[in-house]
Amino acid sequence: MKKRWISSLMLSVSMLLAACGSETTAPEQSEGDGATDTAGETDSEQTSNEPRVLTDGLGNEVEIPENPERVLASYLEDYLVALDVTPVAQWSVQNGESIQDYLQEDLADIPTIPHDLPYESVLEYEPDLMIVRDPIEQEMHDQYSEITPTYVLNSSPTEWRETLSEIGEVLGMEEQAQTVLDDYNSKAEEKAAELADSASEESAAAIWMVDSSLFVVHPERSSGAVLYEDLGLEIPEVVNELSGDADWAAISLEELAQMDVDHLFFVNSDGADADLFEDRLWQNIPAVQQEQVYEFGPETSWLYYGPIASEQVMDDVVSSIQE
Amino acid sequence: MKKIHSAKQVFILTGVLSLLLIGMGVFSLTTGHLSISWNEISETLLGEGSRRNELLLMEFRLPRLLIAVLVGVGLGIAGALFQSVTQNELADPGIIGINSGAGLAVVLFLYFTARSSAIPLLGAISLPFAAFAGGAIAAVSIYIVAWKNGVTPIRLVLVGIGINAGFAALLTMIQLRMSESDFNQVTVWLSGSIWNADWTAVWSTLPWIVTLTPLAFYKSRTLNLLQLGDEMATGLGISVEIERIKLIAIGVALAGACVSVAGGISFLGLGAPHIARKLVGSRHQRFLPVTACIGAIILLISDMIARTILAPSELPVGLVVAILGAPYFIYLLINSED
Repeated sequence: MKKRWISSLMLSVSMLLAACGSETTAPEQSEGDGATDTAGETDSEQTSNEPRVLTDGLGNEVEIPENPERVLASYLEDYLVALDVTPVAQWSVQNGESIQDYLQEDLADIPTIPHDLPYESVLEYEPDLMIVRDPIEQEMHDQYSEITPTYVLNSSPTEWRETLSEIGEVLGMEEQAQTVLDDYNSKAEEKAAELADSASEESAAAIWMVDSSLFVVHPERSSGAVLYEDLGLEIPEVVNELSGDADWAAISLEELAQMDVDHLFFVNSDGADADLFEDRLWQNIPAVQQEQVYEFGPETSWLYYGPIASEQVMDDVVSSIQE
Repeated sequence: MKKIHSAKQVFILTGVLSLLLIGMGVFSLTTGHLSISWNEISETLLGEGSRRNELLLMEFRLPRLLIAVLVGVGLGIAGALFQSVTQNELADPGIIGINSGAGLAVVLFLYFTARSSAIPLLGAISLPFAAFAGGAIAAVSIYIVAWKNGVTPIRLVLVGIGINAGFAALLTMIQLRMSESDFNQVTVWLSGSIWNADWTAVWSTLPWIVTLTPLAFYKSRTLNLLQLGDEMATGLGISVEIERIKLIAIGVALAGACVSVAGGISFLGLGAPHIARKLVGSRHQRFLPVTACIGAIILLISDMIARTILAPSELPVGLVVAILGAPYFIYLLINSED
């Protein structure tokens, strides 16, 4: 304990000294660069005994343990499940009441951890590797790193394929990640071909109702990417016009009523007795009248990202259209 | 409450408060999401605990405890100084805009430097300076605007409230230009949060509190004389305006150091001196040390409430202080009519 105090003090003193004269700072920086180079060399020459060092999204060099067994990757459980890795705890909000329902077949017995990852909760599960995505502060990263090696993802949250590859790399499971990706892509190709036969040039859109507001999915994100990019359904013009920088863009009932769309995938977070269903505008939508609206609850994977979420959406779409 | 007058009683009271503070500190180390026994604590403090307990105590709970104590002392003393200098018992660095001035400077500093990850400690050390600069700008603006052949205490407070609103508006403007995650981060920080407290934060605040608090104690006699009114104090050989500026500078520096690490915690600077004054009267030799103890105790209690009420998630401690402090402030306002 005493040692740590003293070393912290020495560190702060040396920092102060470094701050005082720029001359002192310059050589220190080049020393730092040198250290990085050496780290790079050891990385390339590494033998199986040496720990792997990866540079994470915050620019930290993270030592990855060999065969991590207690992995914590909150809100990234989809990828772990796809890679057959069991996390030590799973994401939750509202005191564990709200969790990722669509993954519960695989995560049923996994305890929950609050989404903001309090230090003591992380410590409780004693993970040997933690992967996080949310933009966390450097200070928090440093504190987590005291508990366990903590890797902040580089890949964008809207690109699940990149994320899968990166998590595969971090876990030393590149091959498995590639297999999952290949399986998904070939299944998507097959299903897209089937749809091209049975529903050629038909359009679709995913609408999400929550708190009586309507949202339409971005054509390149979440379930939108599955609908249009993977399964090749047509994008209604309105969807392109509305989409901005969010996964889901607000859409009014009037705009929805005018949308020229063959299949409407309706994610309902408000329940069966929502006022919307009584609205004349809704009842007059062509897709509603032709019974080409397919309803899904909030427990489905339509709002999520990841290989499991995307595959479930794909199955939902294909079975709905081919019914 | 009956005021305590004899030196012996004051001595005993200070002793009791210090013991209470130490007791609460130890108690605070044992409370939290993970349980840890007294035995494990003593083992860990002797350097023989498990790695988990060492992390829990030395990395998470102890720095946080120290920050709560430092900030409690700092804001308490800062509040006491402002109240004595302005001769207004409603003055508080949070209410008259010093905290929001300091907060604005910190947010600007973070916004423009985007804290370099290579030298977090340097960033942390320069934060209190930025906060001091911001607080000083606020104090100078208040002084200039309130100046009318000298500064009357009531003008100082009223102008301060106006300046506070101005800085708060500026802060909102800057926040609206930030990304969503930065916005949330700043919002939590501004509502007063010490849940990120680590050793860096302790080392960046400690020097300020440890040097400025004794300096404030040393100024007790001047503070006592200022209570007699400007004319009397001048007659007794005090250069009133200069001393006032010095004392305000100490108060601003204390408040700035606290704000830079704990964000905007209001009402603490108001409540702690009040309770202390009720206990020991307004002779500063007694009043200031008691204020420091009470400030630390209030913040410790609030922090324990903040992290147990929604455990394992947490409330910003500033909200808890405000919830406890706001009714007290209103009570003071109502009673000040009599």
